[in-house]
Amino acid sequence: MSVTTDAAAARPAAEVRLPGVGLFAGGLTALLALIVGIPLLMVVLMSLRTGFPGEGGPLTLTNFAAVYSNSGTYKVLGNTLLFATGTVFVALLFAVPLVWLLMRTDLPFKGAIYVLMTVGILIPVFLRTIAWILLLSPRIGLVNQWARQLFGMEQPLLSLYNIPGMAVIQGVSFVPSAFFMLAAAYRTMDPALEEAAYTSGVSKLQTFLRINVPITLPAIAGVMVYLFMTAIAVFEVPAIIGYPARIIVLSALIFTSTNPPTGLPNYGLAGAYGAVMLAAGLLLAYFYVRLVQHGKKYTVITGRGYRPREIALGRWKWAALAFALLYLAMEVFIPFLVLVWVSLLPHLQVPSAEAFAQVSLENFRHIFDHVGALPFVNTAILMFVVPTVTMVLSVLVSWIVVRTNVSFRGALDTLAFLPHAIPGILLAVGLAYLGLAYRSWFPVYGTVAIIAIAHTITWIAYGTRTTNGVMIQVHRELEEAGKVSGASTRTVLGRIVLPLIAAGIFNSWIWISMLSYREVTMALTLGTRKNVVISTIVWQFWGNGWVPQVAALGVVLVLFAVIVVGGLKIAFGHLGEWQS
Amino acid sequence: MITIRGLKKWFDTRRGRVEALRGIDLEIGEREFCVLLGPSGCGKTTTLRCVAGLERPDAGEIEIEGVTVNAPARRVYVPTEKRDIGMVFQSYAIWPHMNVFQNVAFPLVRGRKRFGKELVAEKVRRALHLVQLDGLEDRPATDLSGGQQQRVAMARAMVTEPKILLMDEPLSNLDARLREQMRVELKKITRAVGVTTLYVTHDQAEALSLGDRVCVMHGGEILQVAAPDEVYARPANIFVAEFVGEMNFVKAKIAAGSVECALGSLELPVPPAFAAAGAVTLAIRPEHVELAAADGASGPLVGTIASKNYLGDAALVEIEVNGVTLLAKLPGDTEIAVGQRAAVVLRPERWRVFAE
Repeated sequence: MSVTTDAAAARPAAEVRLPGVGLFAGGLTALLALIVGIPLLMVVLMSLRTGFPGEGGPLTLTNFAAVYSNSGTYKVLGNTLLFATGTVFVALLFAVPLVWLLMRTDLPFKGAIYVLMTVGILIPVFLRTIAWILLLSPRIGLVNQWARQLFGMEQPLLSLYNIPGMAVIQGVSFVPSAFFMLAAAYRTMDPALEEAAYTSGVSKLQTFLRINVPITLPAIAGVMVYLFMTAIAVFEVPAIIGYPARIIVLSALIFTSTNPPTGLPNYGLAGAYGAVMLAAGLLLAYFYVRLVQHGKKYTVITGRGYRPREIALGRWKWAALAFALLYLAMEVFIPFLVLVWVSLLPHLQVPSAEAFAQVSLENFRHIFDHVGALPFVNTAILMFVVPTVTMVLSVLVSWIVVRTNVSFRGALDTLAFLPHAIPGILLAVGLAYLGLAYRSWFPVYGTVAIIAIAHTITWIAYGTRTTNGVMIQVHRELEEAGKVSGASTRTVLGRIVLPLIAAGIFNSWIWISMLSYREVTMALTLGTRKNVVISTIVWQFWGNGWVPQVAALGVVLVLFAVIVVGGLKIAFGHLGEWQS
Repeated sequence: MITIRGLKKWFDTRRGRVEALRGIDLEIGEREFCVLLGPSGCGKTTTLRCVAGLERPDAGEIEIEGVTVNAPARRVYVPTEKRDIGMVFQSYAIWPHMNVFQNVAFPLVRGRKRFGKELVAEKVRRALHLVQLDGLEDRPATDLSGGQQQRVAMARAMVTEPKILLMDEPLSNLDARLREQMRVELKKITRAVGVTTLYVTHDQAEALSLGDRVCVMHGGEILQVAAPDEVYARPANIFVAEFVGEMNFVKAKIAAGSVECALGSLELPVPPAFAAAGAVTLAIRPEHVELAAADGASGPLVGTIASKNYLGDAALVEIEVNGVTLLAKLPGDTEIAVGQRAAVVLRPERWRVFAE
């Protein structure tokens, strides 16, 4: 999650001058420019055209006129801003104290909290959202059903169907990424800065407020901008909670323009809405990069890497643990338990003796009957192809950016970072338009390949950030020492560089595989009958109201992810040992 | 005044218990400058951080100015911010979001004792004058050089006029010339203020030049506490002898009235404690190995120059005598050359005797 110009700036003087490197770098840059640029171009193009994709006609501003003369649009923009702001607020409300608690205090069970936070990432946002609806929906929600039975309440106890409700669910889902980004920034900070305040006679609270917070502020601001950028484009919570409650945000509007429940798709309108989102995304990405660079000034290289003493929480220990547990309950425990409970029953009902009598694995047994093998095959293809292609491209890009002196390596790095700023839903709409309008040149519409392409473009930003970091860590002198020992370039790459970067690349591979596995927005936007994947199947079930089946498939989805990631970490955990 | 009694600290790791401090006893007097000296991992920084309250000992007691600040057995622990101390960190720990004035004023504005605006300004001005940073009040902390950051850290530690000043390798991140300059200044400043100072370093030259007393530590224990000249001239054991300054070692056996070694039979006053031991190690400083022209009039010890390391003001010469290589420190302009023969003079009173 570092910055685009990072690698180019931190890199020592480049030395590789091989014939053909320039040509290769040029080709790679052109390829990246094409795969990132064309979908964006399509979004702009579709916003300027009317009619079906592929119908020519003159370029026109009709769509923009239609969209921006409609007062409903401004209501949508208002909702989007409120939702995004609320989401960022909720995410930071949990993430900032958690970073401090886990990194500086003697909070018990830190290891377990870390692991559960990672598990939280593996629960797809749409499943968590569905679980919370099953709990808090005014009509069918378990809590409200229970309140009716118990207290005879007429009004629902709690409802999610409002902007704060949406912001809480989305915000909780953002906490792990906010946490890991902030923790990374916190780690580069000298613990002596805090200790110097204590030795100056300043209390812990004052130190937290006057030293920790101001020093972390650039990092927090960076995370805020990043989360905001992501929040204005997220689709899952707005579609599952917002749309049925008629709280429409931009992403839902773009989706329904291209996939209307009734009537014909209108790509022109989607493009006009998308243009705002794209402009906002790019602007925020620019601010993000600026903020992260500013934050760099605050990082100090310390004389030695001693671990600061953990602050004893004393009698606050249990309150702090309760806070962490509250978060984990919202993020992991409650959603997962709700899914498990619902998956074991023929229909949604609150726990009772009667309900317990009906518990069975029936729903799990029939998963295959309902969906067949196709979604599993398609998902498996994505999970293998997407990370592999992404990591190959990332390694090549990083090698040029970090290890060569090609003049446009900075531009290449920026290009690889750009997808970070492009909302997934726009990328997918752009690709869908490309596939429909230029079918003969780009004959992949309706195949799993087009989803794979969308995923690869999106995660190349993440992939290159990792590979840049890994390659910078492998000091050039390690390579040079190999060459001086008389090893050939091939031997140096194979025996020295590759083993050193393997762990980092493998980790990224797993993560991208998992992200692809749980991704639903792009898969849904690009989806047809033929390229269904598991996540879109769950979505369809939910649309059909097959609640127990959704829960059963959801439980399988989460368990599979946890087992795969856990298993791989245990099996290959030793790979990263020397990097710590 | 700092009193440390039986201080112990251990860490439980996956490979079992690591004892960082094995019972430290140390008394530091009013206005004394005491240096903790030792190799990395000897426990000197842990001791300092225990005094600061940044680390909590597992056993023992610490008293500052007569107040018990650590006594785990009695569940006494005074947190860092309640101790009357100032501290300078190795990384300086200058807060990057504040300017020089704000950094130095922080302990006065947010610390134990708080002062009015004018008094704060006056105290900060005086502290900055003390470290010769007059007029830099408005400079952002991120625009300071290493040496300036070091001075700001000093000013910040002293501005509250604490009774105790703690310094954790404060000069180790400066380059050599600046380090020597700061060393002289540091001594002057602490003298002038009259603060009790506990100073941690691994640099023996720094320890010898700064300390009123030097406390040599190794493996979580104190090996010797004494004035610098005492530590240098009469090291308590082989480790201290080797760590502080250069030393030649020769294995020897005690015989009746004399000591037998490869250099022959030496007439040395052997402490009675060693008389029964039989085997001992002899030690002599390179500057006490005297070389003379190898003519007929010289003593029985004659050797060959094996190497010469010219240092400008001095020359370090290795001479082989009876299969023993001795290091001698000679004036830089000595004309002695590799391959020459020379007589070696070793005065009996210069030898130190250690148990093997």
